[in-house]
Amino acid sequence: MVLNTPLLGITVLIYLMTIFYLGWLGYKKTKAIDDYMVAGRNIHPYILALSYGATFISTSAIIGFGGAAGALGMGLLWLALMNIVVGIFIAFVIFGSRTRKMGKNLDAVTFPELLGRRFDSRFIQGFSGILIGIFMPLYTGIVLIGGARFVETTLGVDYNVALMMLTIIVAAYVITGGLIAVMYTDALQGTLMLVGMSFLLIFTYIKLGGIVEAHHALTEISYLVPESLAKGGHMGWTAMPAFGSPIWWNLISTLVLGVGIGVLAQPQLVVRFMTAKDDRALNRAVFVGGPFILLMTGVAFTVGALSNAYFFKEKGMISLAVAGGNTDLIIPEFINSAMPEMFVVLFMLVLLAAAMSTLSSQYHTMGTAIGHDFYRQYLKKGNISHTVDITKIGIALTILVSVVLAYILPISIIAPATAIFFGLCAAAFLPMYIGALFWKRMTKEGAIASMLVGTFSSLFWLAFVHAKEAASLGISQAIFGKDTLLTGTWTVIDPIMVATPVAIITGIAVSLFTRPMGREHLEKCFKNMK
Amino acid sequence: MLGIDDPQIWVVYILCVVSAIGCMIYGALNWNKGNEEEDVK
Repeated sequence: MVLNTPLLGITVLIYLMTIFYLGWLGYKKTKAIDDYMVAGRNIHPYILALSYGATFISTSAIIGFGGAAGALGMGLLWLALMNIVVGIFIAFVIFGSRTRKMGKNLDAVTFPELLGRRFDSRFIQGFSGILIGIFMPLYTGIVLIGGARFVETTLGVDYNVALMMLTIIVAAYVITGGLIAVMYTDALQGTLMLVGMSFLLIFTYIKLGGIVEAHHALTEISYLVPESLAKGGHMGWTAMPAFGSPIWWNLISTLVLGVGIGVLAQPQLVVRFMTAKDDRALNRAVFVGGPFILLMTGVAFTVGALSNAYFFKEKGMISLAVAGGNTDLIIPEFINSAMPEMFVVLFMLVLLAAAMSTLSSQYHTMGTAIGHDFYRQYLKKGNISHTVDITKIGIALTILVSVVLAYILPISIIAPATAIFFGLCAAAFLPMYIGALFWKRMTKEGAIASMLVGTFSSLFWLAFVHAKEAASLGISQAIFGKDTLLTGTWTVIDPIMVATPVAIITGIAVSLFTRPMGREHLEKCFKNMK
Repeated sequence: MLGIDDPQIWVVYILCVVSAIGCMIYGALNWNKGNEEEDVK
């Protein structure tokens, strides 16, 4: 879908100029380390909510998951519900408030630093930092490739040029302006996403004659589900897959639980709680965040599914057939054929914004993880100054690494990166993070054991059992001569359902058998907390 | 309900909207709560 119109060119130019202005504003406002790392702990609630939301929702959430809904149907709305309830409400109200207070009590400026200081362990900070530094560039690589492919097709720019352009533009404002620049630009990008997705929903329902009529039309065509999908348990786009079928397991375990709960321990999202001045800012952010996510994933999944009704009405085909079997093309195909041209331009910008807002936060998080957490705090034991400089070098270095990875690694390794990163965060960080905030009895040894067991069991599950990643990575095939070590339902169960419980049990057991942390230290950590 | 037969789908459709509105109600009710409590103590 090359859309090389002057209108699009001018729109993109205005957009980029605004981005640079906001980046410059971030640079000007950054005076101390707290500004660069946690936006001075004084960010506006609207910016906080939109920045959190825009980071949370990447292009793949709209295009990839929206397309998945085009194939699998509206059952994906359970994920949208999880995104709102867990990703916004529980995250802000239950985790956010305590994270903010503890971050301030311990003077922590990153997620690994918060965990490290809470458990009085530089090892936790260093290990978490290096884990983020190794696996996040892969995850960034896939966002970067997606963004560049998208610029290539819409603006008609060469792929390599697009990749470089995207990297340099985002790197420029992340490195110079720190988290303030990242969050300001996020807020602009989030606003664009909000406007674009609202239009998309309204236009889609209008095209199909209203809400009930649209759903009804989609229910009517359930007999068109391809036989291969019907065999896997697909019962129509307005029905859940058959209970216990492979598609049902895939939907529930990977999508709903994996991505829905995994979000709680994402370092780039957790750090945002530490940018809030007080609980009032977090409460106000919930007001914006809930409807924002509804309009992102809720709309993407509904519209993705409804595209079947549209294509059937217009072309007599289902979306999967129109997209030639590639689910990633369902949403773009639908927008191109169903929406007015002005909207197509706006939507291009929405997708570019979604990619850039996720990228900028990833760059900032992995850069601080390597520069601040691993190098300065762990290797140099905090004995060097000029932290911002070190962090800037860290960011530049990790950006370079993710670009190189995006070039040299085969797509089979890059593709599962998002799932790997989410799985790792949920197993390595989530149990320890929950313990850090809510369980004073959790010990340093318990936290370390839980982190290590979570890391390695989740990596093991991904490489040797969970079919989707294991087959793609090929490690199991190379060592044991078969794609997965276990067979049957095990191979579709997400690591979060195995590695995370194992890490939780380890954390509890080891903590109970080791000496509690000093009372003075705990009082410092939990100051002003109920 | 809403043109959807399967209750597992129309329930989640409504729940999504209700939970987003719930977030707005929570935010509105607590709009001025939690203001700078550290400085007060």
